[in-house]
Amino acid sequence: MSGTLAGTVLLTRMALRRDAVAASVSIGVLVLLCVTSAVATPGLYDDEGARVRAAEAINASPAIVALYGPVLDVTSEGELAMSKMTVLYAVFVAVLFVVLVRRHTRVEEESGRAELVGSSAVGRSAPLAAALVEAVLLATLLALLVAVGNTLSGLDARGSAAFGALWAGTALVAAGIAAVAVQVAASARSCAAYAAAAVGAAFVVRAAGDTGPTWLSWTSPLGWNTQVRAYGDPRWWVLGLYPVLAVLLVAVAAVLRHRRDLGAGLVAARPGPVRGSHLLSGPLSLALDLHRTALLLWTLAVGALGILFGMIAPGVGDLLDTGAAAEVLDRLGGLLVAAVLSVMAVVISYFAVSVVAHAGTDESAGRAELVLASATSRARVLAGTLVVALGGSAWLLLVTGAGLETGYLLTDGPAVGDLVTAALAWVPAVWVVAALTVLCFALHERWTAVGWAWPAVFLVVTLVAELFEMPGWVADLSPYSHVPQVPAERWDWGAEGGLLVVAAALLGVAWFRFRRRDIG
Amino acid sequence: MQQPTGGSAIEVDGLVKRFGRFAALDGLDLSVAAGEVHGFLGPNGAGKSTTIRVLLGLLRADAGRVRLLGGDPWRDAPALHRRLAYVPGDVSLWPNLSGGETIDLLIRMRHGDPRSSRRDELVERFALDPTKKARAYSKGNRQKVALVAALATDPELLLLDEPTSGLDPLMEQVFNDCVGEHKARGASVLLSSHILSEVERLADRVTIIRAGRAAVAGLALTGTGPGLEQVFLDAYRQPGGPGPGVAAR
Repeated sequence: MSGTLAGTVLLTRMALRRDAVAASVSIGVLVLLCVTSAVATPGLYDDEGARVRAAEAINASPAIVALYGPVLDVTSEGELAMSKMTVLYAVFVAVLFVVLVRRHTRVEEESGRAELVGSSAVGRSAPLAAALVEAVLLATLLALLVAVGNTLSGLDARGSAAFGALWAGTALVAAGIAAVAVQVAASARSCAAYAAAAVGAAFVVRAAGDTGPTWLSWTSPLGWNTQVRAYGDPRWWVLGLYPVLAVLLVAVAAVLRHRRDLGAGLVAARPGPVRGSHLLSGPLSLALDLHRTALLLWTLAVGALGILFGMIAPGVGDLLDTGAAAEVLDRLGGLLVAAVLSVMAVVISYFAVSVVAHAGTDESAGRAELVLASATSRARVLAGTLVVALGGSAWLLLVTGAGLETGYLLTDGPAVGDLVTAALAWVPAVWVVAALTVLCFALHERWTAVGWAWPAVFLVVTLVAELFEMPGWVADLSPYSHVPQVPAERWDWGAEGGLLVVAAALLGVAWFRFRRRDIG
Repeated sequence: MQQPTGGSAIEVDGLVKRFGRFAALDGLDLSVAAGEVHGFLGPNGAGKSTTIRVLLGLLRADAGRVRLLGGDPWRDAPALHRRLAYVPGDVSLWPNLSGGETIDLLIRMRHGDPRSSRRDELVERFALDPTKKARAYSKGNRQKVALVAALATDPELLLLDEPTSGLDPLMEQVFNDCVGEHKARGASVLLSSHILSEVERLADRVTIIRAGRAAVAGLALTGTGPGLEQVFLDAYRQPGGPGPGVAAR
């Protein structure tokens, strides 16, 4: 290979080597999620009739359809088994591939490593090309593993192949989105925000389409995931849409790449203030300043999703209009809210993890050293991170709850209880996950990255324990399992207090370690 | 200006710091008197940065006695840091903050007031554009941000770890002037550097570190006798360190 692509093979090999552990673990978790669902589903239903009724129940509740997408073929076992995976967990697939592409392009440029690489006999487009080749290889691997795993778990082989392919398609489109975002954004950080916004928009458009005009679902790549109808009668031609869109996005990215400088985006970085505000004077104000934009974007995102689900959930009430049925549906509405909140809590945990991970990056880059060389104690440094991580995640749950409530009120839905309280019930569990990440950071900066695994690990633990009816203590390992599903369940001070004690104990150990350890 | 007790800014005796089984510092002695510029020399990996990080309370000493401005750098870190400033050799800044914001933040975190500091004068002298975001700065410009923040409040002690790496010759001159003014006020400097000519011009005494120990401890630079380059090479070439002839200069 020559020209702007020279060195692509070498860079691809390097990328695969750097990602070996992280990519294997992520792909392993994703495959495991599919396999556990595939294995467990038959045991959940006594006969085909029960299974079909369950699928019909999903289709009848707009909130679940908004969250998971509809089950287009209610008679298919695979469609039901993969109902959570088809769209909702495909978002995790998309996130993984956005992270991979960004990591080998803009992050490398910002670190200065790309300059070193660019000075050698490596072409200008080679880093992007290498990231995309890696994405294609890993997407193919993911598709194969999922297809084989699901087939071995007892699902239809043809459907499993189609399902693996649609996940790979999602991965390719996500890589394409990231490829464009890294050209446009002014920094590696804003590029993550652009890509996340694009994936989020695809999800919302699909949710709107699946619960409203169907044509809208077809405008979203995540909508195609449902329309493939992998385990029904697969529409193979839909699978062709993903590569077409991915190639278009990559073509746009390639054109844009030739029009921008290394380390710069198409959106020019704005100059900053000559002087620092007197409000920016310590680790807490610094942490608030650094995470301000991210917190604002998160707030808008969870607020919008909250309103969306709040508006959709009470729609169940329209189906039956008798007094007794309304009462049943109020309870059902409560369950829907609980399902939505359980997903949002895991997602919001990632905000807390990202804040702590940022503290780890600050340390490895030497910025923590600058702060600690000033008259700032370790206690205040750690407290700055804690306030933003814990306060920020609690704030986001509050916004989610307020969004749900607002959505309910907008559509005059039946009252299902205090949704803000229901959302806040998840705060202690999210804090336990945050505290675990802080503990990793406190043990050694290098271990902070382990924090990214906790929410996924607990999710897998809960799923596996529930699906295989394991002893209660297995599911209880996850802090999320202890949360009372308000409003369907009663608020439980015992459980909430227990989680708070665990979080406080973890933070205590973390502090004990952090104040004594070497920095950097 | 408040004088450190005992007339010494830094007092290190038999400092040991291990990373696993590797002893980065193996019984280091270092003494910086109040009001002197002390050169701290040694090749890459000799333990210069590790020493400074122990002095900042970032690393915990495994053995030995360390006193900084009359206090214990590990225990009294935040209080002591109000009286000193540090410039690392490889300055990493928050990409989204402008240079001006970063300077003011660093000054405020030492409990200084940017408005009453020499910040504007130094920004001018170092020809720094404070409106640029840190991600757009070159290495030299990041270095200037840290230097301006460190020098602006006239601290009692400057801990400088290869502070001129990345600076152009003009800016190196500005830096030399600033260190001269700093010393004229009676303040102290620990200047770790590879640039022998810079150390020779600025320092009153030098300590040369080799494999975690002082090969030459507190040698006065009088301007006569063998040049610093000769002292440095002797300290590294001879298996047992420098001969008595050099140390007795």
